[in-house]
Amino acid sequence: MALFSAFQTTFLLALLSLKTYQSEVLSEPLSLAPESLEVSIDSARQCLHLQWSVHNLAYHQELKMVFQIEISRIKTSNVIWVENYSTIVKRNQVLRWSWESKLPLECAKHSVRMRGAVDDAQVPELRFWSNWTSWEEVDVQSSLGHDPLFVFPKDKLVEEGSNVTICYVSRSHQNNISCYLEGVRMHGEQLDPNVCVFHLKNVPFVRETGTNIYCKADQGDVIKGIVLFVSKVFEEPKDFSCETRDLKTLNCTWVPGSDAGLLTQLSQSYTLFESFSGKKTLCKHKSWCNWEVSPDSQEMYNFTLTAENYLRKRSVHLLFSLTHRVHPMAPFNVFVKNVSATNATMTWKVHSIGNYSTLLCQIELYGEGKVIQKQNVSVKVNGKHLMKKLEPSTEYAAQVRCANANHFWKWSEWTRCNFTTAEAAPSEAPDVWRNVKSVQGHCVVTLFWKPLSKLQANGKILFYNVVLENLDRPSTLKLLSIPAPANGTELTLDQCSYQIHVTANNSVGTSPASVIAVSGDPGNKEVEEERVKGTEDGFCLSWKPQPGDVTGYVVEWCERPGDPLCDVQWRNLGPNTTSTVVSSDAFRPGVRYNFRIYGISTERIPYLLEKKTGYSQELVPSDNPQVLMSNLTSYSFTLSWKDYAAESQPGFVQGYSLYLKSKAARCLPGSEKAVLSDDSICCKYKIDNPKQKTFVVENLQPASFYEFFLTPYTSVGEGPQGAFTKVTTPDEYSHILIRITLPMIFSILLIMILCYLKSQWMKEKCYPDIPDPYKSSVLSLIKSKENPRLTIMNVKDCIPDAIEVINKQEGTRKSLTETEPTKPTYLYLLPTEKSHSGPGPCICFENFTYNQAASDSVSCGHVPVTPKAQPSQLGLLTSSENGPKALGKNYVNSLGEIPAGETNLNYVSQLASPMCGDKSSLPTNPPEPALCSEYKTQMAIPMGLTSPPSITLLDEGEHDH
Amino acid sequence: MRAQLMRRTLLSLVLGLLFLSTPAMGSCLDNYQELLGQLQKLADFMQHTSMLLDPYISIQGLDKDGLKKHCRERPGVFPSKDALQRLSRQEFLQILNTTLGHVLHRLRTLQKDIPKAQDLEKLNIAKLNIRGFKNNIHCMAQLLPGSLEKTEPTPTGPGASPSPTPISDAFQRRLEGCRFLHGYHRFMHSVGQVFREWGQSPSRSRRHSPRRGLRKGKHRTHLSSRNKRLMPREWLPR
Repeated sequence: MALFSAFQTTFLLALLSLKTYQSEVLSEPLSLAPESLEVSIDSARQCLHLQWSVHNLAYHQELKMVFQIEISRIKTSNVIWVENYSTIVKRNQVLRWSWESKLPLECAKHSVRMRGAVDDAQVPELRFWSNWTSWEEVDVQSSLGHDPLFVFPKDKLVEEGSNVTICYVSRSHQNNISCYLEGVRMHGEQLDPNVCVFHLKNVPFVRETGTNIYCKADQGDVIKGIVLFVSKVFEEPKDFSCETRDLKTLNCTWVPGSDAGLLTQLSQSYTLFESFSGKKTLCKHKSWCNWEVSPDSQEMYNFTLTAENYLRKRSVHLLFSLTHRVHPMAPFNVFVKNVSATNATMTWKVHSIGNYSTLLCQIELYGEGKVIQKQNVSVKVNGKHLMKKLEPSTEYAAQVRCANANHFWKWSEWTRCNFTTAEAAPSEAPDVWRNVKSVQGHCVVTLFWKPLSKLQANGKILFYNVVLENLDRPSTLKLLSIPAPANGTELTLDQCSYQIHVTANNSVGTSPASVIAVSGDPGNKEVEEERVKGTEDGFCLSWKPQPGDVTGYVVEWCERPGDPLCDVQWRNLGPNTTSTVVSSDAFRPGVRYNFRIYGISTERIPYLLEKKTGYSQELVPSDNPQVLMSNLTSYSFTLSWKDYAAESQPGFVQGYSLYLKSKAARCLPGSEKAVLSDDSICCKYKIDNPKQKTFVVENLQPASFYEFFLTPYTSVGEGPQGAFTKVTTPDEYSHILIRITLPMIFSILLIMILCYLKSQWMKEKCYPDIPDPYKSSVLSLIKSKENPRLTIMNVKDCIPDAIEVINKQEGTRKSLTETEPTKPTYLYLLPTEKSHSGPGPCICFENFTYNQAASDSVSCGHVPVTPKAQPSQLGLLTSSENGPKALGKNYVNSLGEIPAGETNLNYVSQLASPMCGDKSSLPTNPPEPALCSEYKTQMAIPMGLTSPPSITLLDEGEHDH
Repeated sequence: MRAQLMRRTLLSLVLGLLFLSTPAMGSCLDNYQELLGQLQKLADFMQHTSMLLDPYISIQGLDKDGLKKHCRERPGVFPSKDALQRLSRQEFLQILNTTLGHVLHRLRTLQKDIPKAQDLEKLNIAKLNIRGFKNNIHCMAQLLPGSLEKTEPTPTGPGASPSPTPISDAFQRRLEGCRFLHGYHRFMHSVGQVFREWGQSPSRSRRHSPRRGLRKGKHRTHLSSRNKRLMPREWLPR
């Protein structure tokens, strides 16, 4: 080596001597200039790659040189980059240097030149710059092709937040080019007439498929663009950690950073490098890597995890000692041995982690899902641990894990083992209670006991032993064995006193005995029941302390009161306790629970102390009573609801509310106004006494309509709204009326019957028969004369005193022929008043229209009629204008039936009317009809008969005269 | 040389088997009208841009005003409606089958540029539809008279051909994809109209009447290389 150095120095001296000589001769210093400079481009990375060499070096000579590189853009005078690059140079060695352009290389022409200088301390005299090389031009634009427009850089991949320079190259000077970033126009800087540059700062991540940047000409359909792939920032791995489980292999794990967020995922590589050993491995997985521990007992490790993608490289470091990163494997061969009722031994093995290492093992004992014991044990290879204070007949789970005792790093995984302890005799006496009934002289005792808890039973209870000891005859014992899981039995005993011992038995032994006594007296003395109010927490019961020797108290109740098997429950309480709170999930709202409190004597005989009853939660009454109404009077009525069972309601009935509706505006005394749910207003009576089952509603109005409705109420509220019952009070005088009306009706009926029976007599007395003219003796005289055909006296035979026409039209004197045929005119032939001032001879004609009523009322005959009675009698025929018309019709018909040849005139007997159809002209002095002349002579004129000239129709005035 | 010939023969044999298996995979309807109705409906369904084009535009960020108008079908890629209407039925089915084969090929290329699973699912459904459509074309070809032995046409002549040279420029690639899908939907629209015309005038002079109840496997419509004669210029949409 020394020889080589000496040779080199000699060579250099010789070279320098030669150089000195040359410089002296040529007056020019010797320079080591870069030669064969070549420039190439990498468009994708926007890089210029330079390569050159230095030829003037001697063989095997190595010199440190510095090269100054200049890069110009567009024109050589526009130098944009100057950099000195130092390196060791050998003769004819190809040197390389790269430069990344921020501007896409396609956007402008670039030129490169360089020069070199020796920068070696061994030859300080050569430290001067060589001449520049000629400019090497890089013009990508010339090879782009003939497209009218280009945009660069193509498909560039950058991280978000980067700055990017974009340019377009246009082949046409005339077109205006506009460029857009995701549809938003960009404004750039004109590099030359055909090239425009856009500087994008802090580019964001837009989408997985990249950001669209495009340019288009104003004219034509030319559009060109690029996709800028913006990735998310490549994050460094997190939670880098290494550990070993067997001291042979290190397992290193980490959480890789979020991905690049691009459709074309950037490939990421992870490399693990250990600096002490100088080893390096390329990890196959993205989040973990294995490293073989060197067999030469290397203790310290310094790892560097390098994550790398196209854009960025991230590294994390980790320095540790191998023994401090031991994560033991889970224990194996875990067993639980020697299991008794209260103890068990756990054994296990561990994987060795070195010859002298000690492991710390942790044991956990689980009972009913909870950790009940926790112990740490040091272990070399085999572990053992005794677990004490276990419960008999209980399932347990034991688990063990281990860690390096010297340098704790991590616990191993748990290894678990289940076991069950052996049984033991029951530890507690069963809780026993009784129910005593006297049936046909016998004492029927129902025994109840509660099953022992798991802790008390210490195993499976197989049967219960019941020993009956007759207290009167102590030598008499009776044993009953009742198999589990019975929780009671019924015993029929005589009246003698007994003491009952109950024990529970499992496969191992017997529990302590529970003793209860039964005396001849059931002890159910009459005790007044008290009410107790339940709350959400239960029933708070209290009782008076008993003065004598009391060994304790028992509270008894039924959880299902309505059920025949009421599910008797009881609670034992100490002698000093005088209150307790009874709560149960079985308690339901609206159910009445009865509690009995017993005292337990020293002889273990229970005796009843108090009774309580109450609801855990009172409810409103479930139904309303059936109300009966009685004693209805004009002023009151009585309501009763004696059948209503208030005890069966879901709350204590505190009274009743009676609602009364009436038309009266005011409520009666004892009631108050109330508004019902339907907003109607009524009067409300409050009956505060729940035992009251009748109510008299008083002070009512006679003959009035009322509605009532009765509902009970508890402390919570009233019962359901029901229908109102309607009632109407009777009239005050109705009874009086009944007393009068009935006899009257009876009397009238009686009179009517009498009248009927005596009708013949009445007829004879009141309206005797009209004599038949055929049967008259006058006929016999006529018959005896020459005309035997005549049966009725002809008018010619009569000599009237006078003829008076009483019906005459006023104003117009018309002949009888002008009279309307439908309105016949009657000629009344009446004797003048003057000529008949006194009674005259009585003339009777056959009466064709004999009015029975008139004839009845006016005794046609010879019964004198007083003038007083005349108006009413006349009214029957003449008071109405319709009367004559109706009658007239009949007359015409009647007359028409009479043969004309037989008679020219027919006389119609008619009761004379003093008024000629005009009520307004009633005569002040009506003519008094003469006795027996009320049948006035009338003449009916046949149709078409011409009236004689001497007969004229008079008007009313004339008639009056 | 002999080895090369052998390889070609083997390749032809394999392709022929594959080809023959295509119609055998699904049973064909014998009812011409029913089959025609299915083709119509499927074409109507496939013409909707919501099937492919709209999602593609959205995914690639081409839903900008300045870009949308450049996402139009390039003339000559797909046959025009007029060109389709001028074809005989056999020729029409041949061209349709070939074109859809190219569409399938292109969709596989486009699949690489679709990142989301739900969009990929749409594309897969579209591919399934095209396959089903092609199968129906084969069935229809069996029902037409004058069928030749080969059912699967050689992908020659004009029609949607795979991109001749891969475009390295991502922007141009996505614009081309967009234009291609636009053309595809337009093409399917034209196909639907042609099928509708088939239903309206079943016996036009240039077209053959359908045969009913033809025995399967015989007289299949052959969309042969004579379709090469069809001039691409005729197909250009106006």
